[in-house]
Amino acid sequence: MAEVVTRQFVPASQAAVKDAQLRQALRRAGTGFDGTRREAIEEVTPGVWEQWRVQARRIKEHTIGHLDYYLEMLERNVTAAGGRVHFAVDAEQANAIVSEIARANGVWTVTKSKSMVSEELGLNHVLEAQGIDVFETDLGEYIIQLADETPSHLVAPALHKTRGQVAQLFADQLGVPYSDDIEEMARIARVVLRQKFLDADMGISGANFLVAETGSLVIITNEGNGRLCTSAPRVHVGLAGMEKVIPSLQDLAVFLRLLPRSATGQRITSYMSMVTGPRRSEDEDGPEEFHLVIVDNGRSRLLADPALRESLYCIRCGACLNVCPVYQRVGGHAYGWVYPGPIGSIVTPGLVGVGQAKDLPNASTLCGACRDACPVQINIPRMLLHLRHNIAEGPEQYEGTGSDTESLLARGFASVMSSPRLLNIGRRIGRRLLAPIAKGGVLGPTRIPLVSRWTRARDLPIPAPRSFSEVWRDELAGQQSNRSGD
Amino acid sequence: MGIPFNRVSGSQSGSLGIPSQQFRETVRAALGRESGAPAEPYEVLTQELPEIEAQAQAARDRIARERPELLDQLAATAGLRGWNVQRCEGAEEGLDYVAWLVRSLGATSVARSEQPVFDTAPVDAAVAGAGGLCWPAVYDGPASRTEVRQRLAESGMGITGADYAIAETGSVVVLPRRGLSRLVSVVPPVHVAIVRPSDVVGTLDDLFALRRLEYARDGGEMGSYLNFITGPSRTADIEQTIVVGVHGPREVHMVLLNKE
Repeated sequence: MAEVVTRQFVPASQAAVKDAQLRQALRRAGTGFDGTRREAIEEVTPGVWEQWRVQARRIKEHTIGHLDYYLEMLERNVTAAGGRVHFAVDAEQANAIVSEIARANGVWTVTKSKSMVSEELGLNHVLEAQGIDVFETDLGEYIIQLADETPSHLVAPALHKTRGQVAQLFADQLGVPYSDDIEEMARIARVVLRQKFLDADMGISGANFLVAETGSLVIITNEGNGRLCTSAPRVHVGLAGMEKVIPSLQDLAVFLRLLPRSATGQRITSYMSMVTGPRRSEDEDGPEEFHLVIVDNGRSRLLADPALRESLYCIRCGACLNVCPVYQRVGGHAYGWVYPGPIGSIVTPGLVGVGQAKDLPNASTLCGACRDACPVQINIPRMLLHLRHNIAEGPEQYEGTGSDTESLLARGFASVMSSPRLLNIGRRIGRRLLAPIAKGGVLGPTRIPLVSRWTRARDLPIPAPRSFSEVWRDELAGQQSNRSGD
Repeated sequence: MGIPFNRVSGSQSGSLGIPSQQFRETVRAALGRESGAPAEPYEVLTQELPEIEAQAQAARDRIARERPELLDQLAATAGLRGWNVQRCEGAEEGLDYVAWLVRSLGATSVARSEQPVFDTAPVDAAVAGAGGLCWPAVYDGPASRTEVRQRLAESGMGITGADYAIAETGSVVVLPRRGLSRLVSVVPPVHVAIVRPSDVVGTLDDLFALRRLEYARDGGEMGSYLNFITGPSRTADIEQTIVVGVHGPREVHMVLLNKE
């Protein structure tokens, strides 16, 4: 599995906020993607958009609710089309399956089209250890592979890199003259990778959707690398999380309308490719073998908790990242694993374990922008609250994830806030202590013992000289009665 | 080229990983449900052949009625999505356009598929008249695969027909098979698609309704590949700047015929 550094969220996000280049890149991407997304919704009209969202959600709800049934249908139909389906409980098993397929077919060169699951599995390094050359072919993925980094966004993996950084990377890694002309850099990638496409023995792709009724794998791409990966090599391996299934070919229509618009604001992508088994004997070309690897890797944990199940409806469009005030400031790497942003803050704890990632559900202002942007109406804030609640005082699988100090403070805070007498006393004492050191009614970031993680990053307004109930009693209630007497 | 394309494959055994039964048990346990079909069946999947036929026929009838409007819509949408759309009265005018393209690009090698559309549109002669050589990208046995691929990689243009064209999205749909290579529309830097009025459908729903009918009729044969092509190959992976022609064609032309 890909290295998990989710425990470092706090320091990593603090460092990210200070990175001026990253801030600039995030601003450009966020406003760009989200702006075109909104235009695309206006174009079809918000009313129609809502109908599509409801329809897509219903499909996901039904399929995930009967996932075992649709997995069986899918397996039957992939097999009938001449493909083979393999099931992996975890990353290690999935990597072993792909390694075995490569070994059995004498594979030395692999070209890959973008797959978040393969990032999750850390597959490239496993294959490389076996002596296989692995080439990412999506331009963004190729860049981060050269830089030995993880993707920082679900649809734009190299979003955090400036053109200058990519140019330097190409010069260092490929030995080409430095040029920060974007057309030129894309041309270099084309030339380098074109030969790999023709040489590759095996193509690996992800899957945006798996159609149970026909046993088809669907990928949605723009560059053409997905078409080459699934057409040129003699073996094609598709990797998919088990939640990617949809029942019927007809269900595809609504998702083809929602996904590109939500992801990049495109009305449709340049390509949609649907693979059903290997090449038939009479076909001109196509792989001799088609393998589909279906991965659990912690997804059944999300499935088992009814409160978190809807996180598996996600179609990985990235719209929630583009509208999230937290993601827009800290970027994808701070989240410490493969899936960043609001949906990542639910999926990551689910897949790597809450104990590893307990800061992530707190990386949200709960503003709800993610829920509004989600094309399948996933209620992300509700699930973040559910995770926070469970971490604080949750059931056994969350045991040891909460902080005793935090829980003690929260309990103290709750008893003060629920007693008018204690609140009043607290206000007076607080004001007397803080007023002398505050500036303009606000105490700037300070390190108050026990609560410094809170106070060092926030302004603390000092308690008002008079409480609201005092103001109400002395003035407002009087005005109210005057007015009613008019 | 590395290992030959048609090398005999190694693994012929069954599934790797855990047995599917066991995988599904885990899923079922997580869902807390009994095995078997959904209590309330999924409507689309309960359809029998006559129903699927009726649905497809309804789509066909509507398309036939609205054909002139759909052709206009296709031309407009495809233009917005990056196709160079050339509307032509018939095959002859379409071939004139192809010849003009070959001449202006200076293409010497032009690959094409073997599809019925070329019976009425003799493209080889048109390309030859423009100074190029048009050749069918089909394999005569495994030995020629390497050679065909190499020729494709050196071709300046690829010409195909369309199995469908979707007015809603501006897409050309190809179903690679005997005569129609997967690579001919993606490897050369310029792709020309010849679209006849009978290829045009209205919406994504029309397309999938028609495909479902073929699937149901053919006893569950979907064909190995289906591809939507909507505009040129493009990327915005560096600073959200759009560049066309990354791994696929930088230029795509839709020759849209008003008559078959």
